[in-house]
Amino acid sequence: MLEAFLKALLIILYATFVGFMFMGIIRKVTARIHRRIGPPIYQPIIDTIKFFSKKENITHGVIYDFGIIFALGATILALMFIPLGGVSILRAYGDLILITFLLEIPMLGIMFAAMSSGNPYAGIGAQRALLTLLAIQVPLGFAIVALAEYYGTFSTYEIVMAQQIHGWSIFHLPLLLAAIAYDIVLQAMFGKEPFDIMIAPGEISLGPMVEFGGKHMGILQIQHAIGLFAETLFFSNIFLGGAVVMTFASPILNTLATLVILLIKQLAVLLIAIFISTIFPRFTIDQAARFYWKWPTIIAALGAILASL
Amino acid sequence: MVDWRLFEPLFNWARKKSLWIVSFCTGCGGIEMPPLMTSRYDIERFGIIPDPSPRQYDLFLITGYVTPKTLKRIIITYEMAPDPKWVLAHGSCPLNGGVYWDSYNAIKHLDKYIPVDVFIAGCMPRPEAVLDGIHKLMEMIESGEADGWKRYRENYEWYRKNQDELLGEGWREKEARKWIPWLMDKRKEVKE
Repeated sequence: MLEAFLKALLIILYATFVGFMFMGIIRKVTARIHRRIGPPIYQPIIDTIKFFSKKENITHGVIYDFGIIFALGATILALMFIPLGGVSILRAYGDLILITFLLEIPMLGIMFAAMSSGNPYAGIGAQRALLTLLAIQVPLGFAIVALAEYYGTFSTYEIVMAQQIHGWSIFHLPLLLAAIAYDIVLQAMFGKEPFDIMIAPGEISLGPMVEFGGKHMGILQIQHAIGLFAETLFFSNIFLGGAVVMTFASPILNTLATLVILLIKQLAVLLIAIFISTIFPRFTIDQAARFYWKWPTIIAALGAILASL
Repeated sequence: MVDWRLFEPLFNWARKKSLWIVSFCTGCGGIEMPPLMTSRYDIERFGIIPDPSPRQYDLFLITGYVTPKTLKRIIITYEMAPDPKWVLAHGSCPLNGGVYWDSYNAIKHLDKYIPVDVFIAGCMPRPEAVLDGIHKLMEMIESGEADGWKRYRENYEWYRKNQDELLGEGWREKEARKWIPWLMDKRKEVKE
């Protein structure tokens, strides 16, 4: 019991730290692409400390506070189900559908909070975010179906183990198609540029985030960090082979090697997202919905059909 | 309640290192803001990013002359932010009216309406001058000298009196109700 609790705490701390580094990498790499120097890589941590050090706080009622906590809790729960090499605690129950569902719950929590603030910008942002969420379901569902059809199981850990024997998922053609569709969906899940319609800085102020200040925004920063970590981890687990290292004699060395390999794969996923986001302008919401229901859906459906043949 | 005084140096360092600017471009100084953010005088080196929300900013740049109509929005934006927040007045016009010294419609002393922490003279100041002003503000935050938000809280009666003298008593409600009759007339026109 105590051991599981300590393990969960360690996973949360590691995910928060690495997530903040990922946010810093996003800002730094974006700056380098713009030929700027950019902020130090630990800048998001400073931002979060600053948000928690605000001397007053604004609240609009119970749901406004609860929605934020709900988002953070859902992200942490999603993280617990994703296998992190050999350390994850709930990985035996880590169902593909469950994790995909839990990774979208935080958006609903933020929507609760944003809608209860009564700000019209937050309302517009919430509507756009819900439409984006609806649009990405279709390719996401087909990608998951392709995976489950190919490996014959829904368990994420078993998929990772199967990739140890048969090679990475992206080297099989049906799953490569699913991975491409999932990677396009990831742009919307990260809230990155071609599909950052829900946040849309400059277009609708900040969308749902417009009303959050002080400690609410601090918690949202932590949520975003853990969310980035969990989404990249899920992608590298199901498509890039995860990591189960057995070469060393001592289990600590094995765990460390696992974490390093996973980190490299996560960074690869993140960097692709950054490169796409820095060179593409934003879609309008109707274009985004039409796009998601067309190309990624066709690609993912093709993958699902090929996988079931 | 936890006593956070022990953490105050850490908090001051974090506040200094991550000043978010609200994108409120008043007057001609608005054109001096993009050069600050882009690749030549990259201000993100110091952790400063523009942010469109009035709830999240720490640094309010008043870039240029302020008319009474803008002042209402500036006061509302200033009061919407949570507490440690700083104002940097940029250019000659917020300082003493600048070239608009005899205009009936420009604010001569911005410091009478909202507390200003750092003034930068110049029309317009170079981006280097703005960077210098921000550096000065960072030093003041570190030492605890920059206390505009505290002054606004303690001397609220004085600031409120000055605002009401200029804009008229109850200007917030009046401003909010201003468009209602016009909208009603429009609705009637559509019906007819």
